[in-house]
Amino acid sequence: MSDTQWPRFEVFLQAAEGEPHQYVGSVHAPDAEMALLNARDVFVRRPHCVSLWVVPADHILAKTAQELAEKGWEEVETPTQTQTASYCVFQKREHRGTLIYVGIVNAQTPAQALRRAVELFTKHPSLVWWVFPVRLVTQSNIEERESLFEPALDKPYKQPTYYRTSAQIHQIKLTKRLPEESL
Amino acid sequence: MNSRVKKALIQTLLAMADDELILAHRDSEWTGHAPILEEDIAFANIAQDEMGHAIIWYSLYADLTGENPDSLVFFREAAAYRNIQLVELPKGDWAFSMLRQYLFDAAEMVRLEQLVQSQYPPLAHVAAKIRKEEMYHYRHTSTWIRRLGLGTEESHRRTQKALDTLWPYTFQLFTPLPNEPFLSEAGIVPESAQLHATWAKVVLPFLKGSGLIVPETCTPIIVQRDQHTEHLSSLLLEMQEVARSDPQAQW
Repeated sequence: MSDTQWPRFEVFLQAAEGEPHQYVGSVHAPDAEMALLNARDVFVRRPHCVSLWVVPADHILAKTAQELAEKGWEEVETPTQTQTASYCVFQKREHRGTLIYVGIVNAQTPAQALRRAVELFTKHPSLVWWVFPVRLVTQSNIEERESLFEPALDKPYKQPTYYRTSAQIHQIKLTKRLPEESL
Repeated sequence: MNSRVKKALIQTLLAMADDELILAHRDSEWTGHAPILEEDIAFANIAQDEMGHAIIWYSLYADLTGENPDSLVFFREAAAYRNIQLVELPKGDWAFSMLRQYLFDAAEMVRLEQLVQSQYPPLAHVAAKIRKEEMYHYRHTSTWIRRLGLGTEESHRRTQKALDTLWPYTFQLFTPLPNEPFLSEAGIVPESAQLHATWAKVVLPFLKGSGLIVPETCTPIIVQRDQHTEHLSSLLLEMQEVARSDPQAQW
């Protein structure tokens, strides 16, 4: 991992009202606000989006089901404060799927939050669990939805083959004797 | 619409279209070269937006004159272009391009806010749509300028240098076209002087808050839009090269 990289933020996208946020990837940015703007440009093109979250990667506690089964992961932390905080919980249920938001738990440490999440969200078996404090989520505002997300809907993605120019370019090369390196 | 108003409107639409087109071209020169991968994508997206705006203004122009936008773009000489000099300046370093975009985005924002109330319905309708994208542009570039201005010694120095170079060119953003009074009296476009004042109220405190000093003495560039720097012809040489290689080609 290079030292010249900016901090990494994980990006979660909500495609429509009522649907849970899903993990779409990460961006590097100097701070949360820049991360949110960059996430919009990197991830909100073809999918629909009504809300974006970015979270500093360093503050996400991530465990696979296998790691959970091993002992010792819980004893790493000792609570330095007794205050309870809210944690977002994400699960990955299928190998080909992504992490999906399932809900909130309250806890004093990330490890405690994860333990509670595992006890609480039993409806589906999970391959991977992520938890992180709600206060570390930087989210897009509802008022910004129009300027952040609507413009992408007007910009349909086109494959390069959509532009049928090779016959024309070939013709130009023949008639105008342009240099052989392709345009 | 009487013929004087129509003539003035045609000139205004061409000016707006040319600004967006030339700026889009300069922005697109960063594709593959931006300092950060995410920014490469973001700035290419902004360039794409500006190109889209150019297409919209050219089509409104074409509705009134019957001219073909492709011919306008690819077969006009530099002397016939009506963009301001600010947008044709070479891209410079990242600070220069971000600041140039910021100053232009701020002007677009204040202009579009007024244009949504234009008495010429196609303009009002189009302005509402474009405004959504410009709000995002403004947010993006202002976020950058703040960080560059208040960042490291190097980022501050480069941004200040960019401001010193760009500031005189901003006056041309608000230099009225010769027939503007016909349009502003008809409620079709806002008055340039008023736009300039609104723009300054946004931009001056923002630049100051970003640790930058606006030049106090400078020679404002307030020439008419048919006056260009030498940079425009080299830009057009590149932009028009393929189309001109075979003017009869069907693309």
